[in-house]
Amino acid sequence: MDEPQRQRLHALLRVAQLRQLLLQRRLRKGGHGGGPAPRRACSARGRARRGRTDSNPVPQDGRPPSHPATRGQRAASTGRQEGQATQRPPSGAGGRRAAHARPVGEARQDAADARCLFVRGGACAVRATATFLTALSPLISLGLFVAPRTRAVPPSLPAREGLTPGAGRRCPAARPRGRALRLSSEGEPAGPSHPGHPAMAVFDTPQEAFGALRPACVQLTKAQTVENVAQLEARLAAVGAGALQELQEYVLFPLRFALKVPGPRRERVVQRVLQCLSAVLLGTRVRSPRLLRELLSELCSCLPAPHGAPAPAEELQLAAVRALLALMHSAQGDAIVALYQPSCLPLLGFAVSLLLGLAERERAKQIKLAALECLQVLLLQCECQEHRCLREEEAQRCGDLFASFLPGVSIALSRIIAGDVKQGHRTTVSAIRLFYQIVGLVMADEQLARVPKQKEKPSVEQSRIAELIVHRGPEWSRSTSEKLSLLLRKTVELSSVHSHWKVRLELVELVQHLLSNCRLSLVDSFTHLLKALVGLVNDENSEVQSRCNEVLRGIAEQQVIAQSRALADVLSENLHSLATALPRLMNSQDDTGKFSTLSLLLGYLKLLGPKVNVVLNSVSHLHRLSKALMQVLELDVTDVKIVEDRRWGCVGGYDPSGSVQHGVQKGRCQRKYFRFFTEEKIFQLLQQVCRVLGYYGNIYLLVDHFMGLYSESAVYRKQAAMVLNELIAGAAGVGVDVLQEREVSLSMDDLKGSIMSILEEYTDQANWYLVTSIDTEEVSHEQLSVPRSGLAALPGAASSSILPSPEQHITTRTMNSNVWQLCIQLEGVGCFAAVLGREFRLLLLSALYPVLEKAGDKTLLISETAQGTLVDICEACGYDSVQSLINENSDYLVNGISLNLRQLAHQPHAAQVLGTMLRHSDASLLPLVEDVIQDVLSALDQSYNDQASTFLGVLHSLMAALVQWFGLSCSKEHQQRQAAEGQSRTLSHIQQEITSQEVERFFLDYIKQKQIAEGNFSDSGDEEADEVSPLAKPEPSNCDTEGETPLPSHAQLAKDVMERCIHLLSDRNLRVRLKVLDVLELCVTVLHPHGNHLLPMAHRVWPALVTRLISDDPLAVLRAFKVLCTLAQKCGDFLRQRFSKDVLPKLTSSLLSQAAASARAGPVYNHTLAYKLQLAVLQGLGSLCEKLDMGESDLNKVADACLVYLSAKQPMKLQEAAQSVFRHLMRVDPDSTWLFLTEVCCPHPYEPPHASLQPVKLRGMGRQRNEFTDSILLLLEELQQRESAGAQRAPPP
Amino acid sequence: MAQPPPDPHFVLRGTGAAVHALHFSCGGGEPDIPVLFSGSENGFIHVWNLKTHRVDAALDGHGRKSVCGLKTMDGKERLLSQGRDQRICLWDLAEGRTSVTDSVFTENVGFCRCSLLKVAEGRWLMATAAKALEEVQVLELPSKTSVCTLKPEVGAKLGMPMCLKLWQGSCGSQPSLLAGYEDGSVLLWNLSTGKVLSQLICHQEPVMSLDFDSEKAKGISGSSEKVLSIWSLNEQQNLQVQKTHRLVNAGISDITIRPDKKILATAGWDHRIRIFGWKKLKPLAVLDYHTATVHSVSFSDHKSPSDRLLAAGAKDHRISIWLIYTQT
Repeated sequence: MDEPQRQRLHALLRVAQLRQLLLQRRLRKGGHGGGPAPRRACSARGRARRGRTDSNPVPQDGRPPSHPATRGQRAASTGRQEGQATQRPPSGAGGRRAAHARPVGEARQDAADARCLFVRGGACAVRATATFLTALSPLISLGLFVAPRTRAVPPSLPAREGLTPGAGRRCPAARPRGRALRLSSEGEPAGPSHPGHPAMAVFDTPQEAFGALRPACVQLTKAQTVENVAQLEARLAAVGAGALQELQEYVLFPLRFALKVPGPRRERVVQRVLQCLSAVLLGTRVRSPRLLRELLSELCSCLPAPHGAPAPAEELQLAAVRALLALMHSAQGDAIVALYQPSCLPLLGFAVSLLLGLAERERAKQIKLAALECLQVLLLQCECQEHRCLREEEAQRCGDLFASFLPGVSIALSRIIAGDVKQGHRTTVSAIRLFYQIVGLVMADEQLARVPKQKEKPSVEQSRIAELIVHRGPEWSRSTSEKLSLLLRKTVELSSVHSHWKVRLELVELVQHLLSNCRLSLVDSFTHLLKALVGLVNDENSEVQSRCNEVLRGIAEQQVIAQSRALADVLSENLHSLATALPRLMNSQDDTGKFSTLSLLLGYLKLLGPKVNVVLNSVSHLHRLSKALMQVLELDVTDVKIVEDRRWGCVGGYDPSGSVQHGVQKGRCQRKYFRFFTEEKIFQLLQQVCRVLGYYGNIYLLVDHFMGLYSESAVYRKQAAMVLNELIAGAAGVGVDVLQEREVSLSMDDLKGSIMSILEEYTDQANWYLVTSIDTEEVSHEQLSVPRSGLAALPGAASSSILPSPEQHITTRTMNSNVWQLCIQLEGVGCFAAVLGREFRLLLLSALYPVLEKAGDKTLLISETAQGTLVDICEACGYDSVQSLINENSDYLVNGISLNLRQLAHQPHAAQVLGTMLRHSDASLLPLVEDVIQDVLSALDQSYNDQASTFLGVLHSLMAALVQWFGLSCSKEHQQRQAAEGQSRTLSHIQQEITSQEVERFFLDYIKQKQIAEGNFSDSGDEEADEVSPLAKPEPSNCDTEGETPLPSHAQLAKDVMERCIHLLSDRNLRVRLKVLDVLELCVTVLHPHGNHLLPMAHRVWPALVTRLISDDPLAVLRAFKVLCTLAQKCGDFLRQRFSKDVLPKLTSSLLSQAAASARAGPVYNHTLAYKLQLAVLQGLGSLCEKLDMGESDLNKVADACLVYLSAKQPMKLQEAAQSVFRHLMRVDPDSTWLFLTEVCCPHPYEPPHASLQPVKLRGMGRQRNEFTDSILLLLEELQQRESAGAQRAPPP
Repeated sequence: MAQPPPDPHFVLRGTGAAVHALHFSCGGGEPDIPVLFSGSENGFIHVWNLKTHRVDAALDGHGRKSVCGLKTMDGKERLLSQGRDQRICLWDLAEGRTSVTDSVFTENVGFCRCSLLKVAEGRWLMATAAKALEEVQVLELPSKTSVCTLKPEVGAKLGMPMCLKLWQGSCGSQPSLLAGYEDGSVLLWNLSTGKVLSQLICHQEPVMSLDFDSEKAKGISGSSEKVLSIWSLNEQQNLQVQKTHRLVNAGISDITIRPDKKILATAGWDHRIRIFGWKKLKPLAVLDYHTATVHSVSFSDHKSPSDRLLAAGAKDHRISIWLIYTQT
């Protein structure tokens, strides 16, 4: 150390001691306030000058430092060499780091080192500022501006340990001030001076405090040791805030002195001093600009220089940064104002560059964070309450100042942001925050607007500094925004995919901040910013999502886009390029990628809001967008199942549950499968896209355009329909999630107009009657009946191209596609109804018929969708149920049916509609459709040959409906009648009760009858006859009265239908015959209560029916037999004669002949038609016999035929069926049945009760057990039970 | 190859009885709903809304006796209906009211429909068959004062008047009356003098219906036979048969010339509606829908030609609506 320096330091010490004495004296006198500011022994200027005169001590080897150890060694060695050369110890981080590791013996060198740094500080500041500032010039080339730092951080630095994580961005100054001080840094445990320490006395007055602090201060001034600092700290802890403020400078002095003390610098001391310093600063306020400046520069000197110099220990750095932070926080109004003057620019620049260097190059998270936080405060962007907002002119001035740092700061920060993930998200977050804060301040539109065109001429004395100040003219702002846009782009790209959500959240804030502050100046960057923002709407983190939404909403509400032409342009540009790329992206990306791409699209549209129209008005935009949608929405039509699934409801039989809207719920949209994506949420996104388009866009334009696409090509048809549906929903504001309201909501008339035109297109013949199945039956009929030439002339001429021509091969794919198209169109109709509400009632005239037509479609998917549509319509138009919808609009439907019936080509559809109507409605519909049913019948009359099958479908559904509606009453009557019959039968049983009296009466009766027969008539027996007759009477009277009254309409219909059936019973097509038999059975059921009409019909049906029973396909026989059974229930004895003559022989003979076969057969036989026929006949024969009240000989025939089936060799079911026959026979004639059975097998010997009677001899007695025994015993048992039960039930005579 | 005949555009059902009279009132502007009145055998007059194709109102004013004639006086609010209860009623239908404001008791038991002619603002002439068998009475409405009673010469043996047509030449000339009689003759009456101007025997059977085109001074009449007869009126006010057209099936119950005088429609007993070109009586189409005698045909008076309709009411209780304009 050279002599003058030493002298100077001694002098300084002396002055300090003197000042301390003076102060003590004044305090004793009771004086307040600080004395005249002590003259600075070493001004910054002086230091700077001295620094410049010194040779540069920093090693300039130019190579990037590779490894800490080697770096340290090298630095140490160079330092040593240097030291040898210049008689001075080495300096720099490496040296100090090395010193840290070296034995204590080298501590002296450290002290020298520290002093060296102290002296060098000023020089460093100026140099750094100068280099930094030159880099800031806006004229600097772009490449330089963004060129990555070649000096990389060594990759293999050992991870630092023992550094507890700091408090992050939390500002130390935000803690309540003045209550007590925490002297230790946050990361370390508090020392003995813990504020909560109970033993400590508190000195509140300055005098007391002075007394307490003085010894420690003096001690510290004399010897700068850790112990002394600790002592001061301990004392400080006991000093009240007010007192400390008074003694601020006094206390600061020894601390500052300790920092500046000549001689080797001891890191631990310095660190402790810095901690103590920050504690003091936190507890007090710095009011003097000078003090602030000085402290700032002194603290900066504790930080490592930006280039190359070896860094001090991390703890020390951290303490220095914290002290700096405390300083900035404790600085008060005037001091701050004074600091942010152009004259302080170098100092500020120096601090900024140091901190930036720290933040960028340091590896320890804590330091990085602290440095960033410090920077934030330094650049007046601290968020704590302490810092009031800048006034306008202040902000302007600061903006001017900081403009100089902007390039350096922004580059450094963007490097930090782009840094390794290992640096932790908090660093990145703070860097992003600082980035947008500084950019937002400097590039603020408000400020730039106020910047005068020409740079003011600086006054002469300030010229050097003024040169450094940037003039933020238009040219500057343009070039800066260009450069910033590159940085922003990089930043946005990196952080929008950052793995930590907080970083993404901060990105949202960035966009929000810049968008609200720098809308004009950074317009070029918004392409990326908005993209990022919009993309983050669907972030996986909900917080990011909600904030993003909030920001977007804010943007929309402020009408940022609407007001700024430039932003709208940016957005529409983005939209265009996205739409262009969309098909490609959809092809290549995975579902997540597609999702984000599409949410981007949606976000753009939402942001554009009402401005969407500007985009849509451009043909190329609309074209791109629509084509992209068409491609994306392409459906996957390879599923065969869709085509195969059939609705069997109307074919198989009447399913009453199908009539109630079972399984049809609202919102049941059949899931669609798309070619390019599978996830449902992507589809929902696309839906939203369309809806938002519809919401904001010009509905006429859009509808027109997509209708064009719809009719342009079959390839687009489904997608276009989907889009149209969503557009309308969107236009009506249904299910749209938008950021801002549209200016003018669409009028109902406009909406209705659009809907009507779409509906018309949908239900156009060419688009509504598509081939969805190759139903051989239907198609062949259509082919046969429709002459090609005639069709072309029909109004539905266009359909000729759709109807399958034989040579044209229809693939499953085409049909699947058609099915989907119909479904989409049906969904559309439902959607339109929902949109229009009650207004849709007016459109029912044209819309209801087609929907009902499809509800009767055989393809399951279509019919289900159509039923869903019906439910939608119901809800929209305010009908209670589908039934009331149909009933109240039956006039429209009937009209459609009757008109379509005239067109042979469309008859199947008309029939379907009628069928659907019947299925969904109730008896109240009948009067409304009677008219059209007559039309159907007359149409049937005109075309027996080719359309019979179709018509029979309708007739079947009609009759099934009639049975359902009126069958209840039929069956009720029937039941009543049966009950009556049953009653009479039990009565007859009672009569058969075998008691001695009964036997006696029987005998007497017998004699009386005989007498009557012989002509000897007497009145004596009439009483009993009267008893029975009233019960037997009701039945015939029932029939008699009915003959006169006109038939109710449903019965009349049934009769009419039955008449047609007679003709069709002998159709050459088996299928038709089967159908006819089904219908016939239903007719008979309906006509049941009207015997007078049924019997003549039965008479007419009989010949044809017999033919079916005797000589037809077994299938037909089966059905015919069913019909016969039904018929027998009513007609009874009317058929007896015919049955026994025409049918019975045939039946019994076939039963007998088949018995052998079934007895031999294995289990497979159960699936044959022959078996089914046998079973059906056996099951029906019993009741048939009972109903027809057959004669004895016939009964015997039946019994004979059925006996063989009682055999144990027969299949179980047949046995049971045969048993049932016998049960019926028991009811008809128990005695003869008993006799018949006992003839075969008799278990009991019947011994006469009296010897005078002959013993009973039965043929079955004493027979061996054989195949029939089991069944017969069972039957006899039952018979026995019946008899005894009857006996018990009978009242005692 | 000729086009096959079109289907009806719509069929109105629900009159519950044979339809005997039809009258359109569709001349109103946009908010006005076009309306079709139909009179049926059970005495009801139905007001059909042509937008919803549903009955807006059913008027019961003729004691369940058949309604045979319907006319409106200036818009659809005032309806004139003639029933077989020998009354002609004037209805007030404005604002949803359905009340008979006035009625004329004609005492005529025949089938002859009355004829209405607007001669001035708020002044109409109505010709109707009178109580006496061969007479026709002309009243002025709304005052109901008798203008004249037209009696044929004694011994003319014309029989009952079957159809009437009041008409007025182009330049505000005197209104005249054309009347078709039971014996097959058509008479031209001068209303001011009450004298027959001309008589033409054009049918062997009663004239069932006639219509007259005052611009071309040409008229057409149909009877229960198979002939349509076209006759013209020359400057000397003489009726001359111009042409006859033979039909396949006999019986015409109504003839209407379309207001633009280009085509005409006939309602046939053979269930068919026939369309002819008016100029040369060229058969254009046979509209086959009804399943019973067609009683009445009527062309609508829509302002725009593309909306205009043809309606036919028949004994099968249905009213068929046809789009004829688009076809020709």
